[in-house]
Amino acid sequence: MTTEIITDIAEAEQGSSLWHDAWLRLRKNRLALAGGIILVAFSIIALLTPWIAPYAYDAQNLDLGATPPSAQHWLGTDIFGRDLLTQIMYGGRVSLAVGLIATSVALLIGVTWGAVAGYVGGKVDAVMMRLVDIMYALPFMIFIVLLMVVFGRNILLLFLAIGAVEWLTMARIMRSQVQQLRQQEFVEAAISLGLPPGTIIRRHLIPNALGPIIVYTTLTIPSVMLLEAFLSFLGLGIQPPQTSWGLLISYGAETMEEFPWLLIFPGLALTITLFSLNFLGDGLRDALDVRRSKD
Amino acid sequence: MINTVSRLLAALLVTTFLAACTGGESNVEIGNREGILHFGNGSEPQGLDPHVVTGVPENKIVRSLFEGLAVKNPWTLEPEPGVAESWDISEDGRVYTFYLNPEAKWSNGEPVTAGDYVWSWNRALHPAMGNQYAYMLFPVVNAQAFASKQIEDFSQVGVKALDERTLQVTLNEATPYFLQLMDHYSTFAVHPETILKHGKMTDRYTKWTRVGNMVNNGPFNLKEWKLNRRIVVEKSDTYWDRDKVRLNGVVYYPTENIVSEERMFRVGQLHTTGTVPLDKIPVYQAMENTPYVQSPYLGTYYYLINTNREPLTDVRVRRALSLAIDRVKLNDTVLQKSNFPAYSITPPGTMGYQPPKLFDYDPELARSLLADAGYPDGEGWPEVELVYNTSEGHRKIAVALQQMWKDVLNIKITIANQEWKVYLDSVDTMNFDIARRGWIGDYVDPNNFLDLFITDGGNNNTGFANPRYDDLILNLAPQADTQEERFRLFYEAETLLMEQMPILPIYTYTNKKLKHPSVRDMPSNLMDSLNLKYVWLDADWDKGAEK
Repeated sequence: MTTEIITDIAEAEQGSSLWHDAWLRLRKNRLALAGGIILVAFSIIALLTPWIAPYAYDAQNLDLGATPPSAQHWLGTDIFGRDLLTQIMYGGRVSLAVGLIATSVALLIGVTWGAVAGYVGGKVDAVMMRLVDIMYALPFMIFIVLLMVVFGRNILLLFLAIGAVEWLTMARIMRSQVQQLRQQEFVEAAISLGLPPGTIIRRHLIPNALGPIIVYTTLTIPSVMLLEAFLSFLGLGIQPPQTSWGLLISYGAETMEEFPWLLIFPGLALTITLFSLNFLGDGLRDALDVRRSKD
Repeated sequence: MINTVSRLLAALLVTTFLAACTGGESNVEIGNREGILHFGNGSEPQGLDPHVVTGVPENKIVRSLFEGLAVKNPWTLEPEPGVAESWDISEDGRVYTFYLNPEAKWSNGEPVTAGDYVWSWNRALHPAMGNQYAYMLFPVVNAQAFASKQIEDFSQVGVKALDERTLQVTLNEATPYFLQLMDHYSTFAVHPETILKHGKMTDRYTKWTRVGNMVNNGPFNLKEWKLNRRIVVEKSDTYWDRDKVRLNGVVYYPTENIVSEERMFRVGQLHTTGTVPLDKIPVYQAMENTPYVQSPYLGTYYYLINTNREPLTDVRVRRALSLAIDRVKLNDTVLQKSNFPAYSITPPGTMGYQPPKLFDYDPELARSLLADAGYPDGEGWPEVELVYNTSEGHRKIAVALQQMWKDVLNIKITIANQEWKVYLDSVDTMNFDIARRGWIGDYVDPNNFLDLFITDGGNNNTGFANPRYDDLILNLAPQADTQEERFRLFYEAETLLMEQMPILPIYTYTNKKLKHPSVRDMPSNLMDSLNLKYVWLDADWDKGAEK
């Protein structure tokens, strides 16, 4: 009995890392866990698609045309007789990749920019944030169109371009968080200990601002996926026979009365992904809330 | 709990439903009462200057604002009086004398004079104008020489104003379709003072076509132009035949997305659509009292090939591309059997002319041609791009052909869509490898399709140049004594063209549209020639059905 108590105290004093704590808390959140598992599963499927897809993604069978789900084609076929399941699997590669890459770009630029502006303050802050305001005022479409015209159509560039216009809100959120945190004692303590600003931002400010950032990230991913579909529809994004969920949905919506499955299944794929992202994001926010963990 | 939710849902549904039912009158209902036609017009027009524009959407608007010397009757396509109340044709068919209607007025009240026509044709033919349809006037003596800068003096061109009201036109040789050309917008008169007020005679896209500036002579006047939203025209009170005009106005909508156009029609926002989404055709065909109208149409859907660009400079490559297309299958599946597969540029049966059919779907031959050209089984094939103007229908065809080329020839063709104006610009400047194109006849004669491909022709856009072809079309055929002889020469020219394959014919058009039952006297015809002067709306169209 006594020994047990002692080991407990020993464990508690040994402490555990932020990530370990977070993982323990996340594990208790069933919805978040399910969301995470689904996302991992979708990602694995996307990675393995070229080997496990039931058909070639551009194989047409014009004589077959659009057919509802059947034993050969589990999710049916489109008007060119292409297998919809295959289309969704390949579309998922593009959509998940654009979500991941564009959001990472937005995250990287936005968080760094906002943290520096918020931490340094003064004139630097004013200049940096006015730049953000100016970019807000520019219609982002013109920016992307210009990029596409200058550098030509290229999927990777498309991802980067979307990321490069999506970081603005992220920067604002980060800046307001940092400004708030900077007034707190632990940051002042770190400053008086002589830690360099880079370390303070990395070790103290960013981890404390993770909650809102994660929530906003989960909101950014769906919006970049939709943006990609929009650009592709305008002829600026990916071009047939390549496809993405956004494109599949926009084509499906046009024939939803005749061939509803062409809208329903790609729509389901996107919806499930977005729900999973939101649940996981919520769970992560709670799990990573450093302030609550110290209670 | 569940009960409450379902009750709430039901209440919500009922309210939305009621709101939808009592949500005011539709465009069509209001239009029927007020005599306003709501017209789905395909694309936002490039402009409204008759000597600049080229597309079908522009044509529909320009012809409501302006009127030619003679106008095609929409039922018979025979010429009937327009600005000219009558005309004489000399016995050798070379001299036309038009007598202008003294009542024909510009929208500012001034009379339309023979001098206006001489000035306008000078403008239409002027090399600085860059009018792609200048060749519509080439049957006129010296018109081509003036347009190609061989002569500077316009007074040598065969058009004279004998007096205010009499216009005399002298042709190179008898041209059976010349009166039909008088209904084409590039031969229309424009108001000289108005043009000069806003720029030089040959300036393109000046402000004279804006609302409030435009002076025109047709049955309608321009009232409102909201970019990408609508163009509104209202009945003119200076038009000579205004008593016959039954509509009070027309609203043109740029409906680039044919799916939303069809939806607009279904909810009563449009009286007529420009086309019908392919997937919807079977649904509409099965309907009772269907608004779907399908009729033969004088037009060909084809792809232009840029013969100045590698690897398309090689005729074997061009033929391989053409032979790899299974046109019958395309038409039966993707196109829902709504058209006819085409193997040449002229629609079969144009005035009784049958074009040659030199090839068919032949994957074996296509592969061996491509191998001969240095790309066995597609090896070493460079990047080739196909562009089309943004539209569901064009995309479907491009996607299907892309795969046929891949399956048969194992080559990769990327496809890209462009907005209408960008696309027109790409085609005009030949900034493409392969580009989608459609040609709608401006008059019923094989010549209208074959003279597209004369060397450096304004709508050639392929780089195709063949002296024998030019000779056949420009010199030999016009001098032919009989129609039979003329058609034989056309046949020889078209054979030359299709052996060189600067274009890939895809299908011969049919005209497909949705037309609300209240729309009257808008007959279908081979040229989809629309004369809004006759059209009227029957507000009581459904009364008969109720009894």
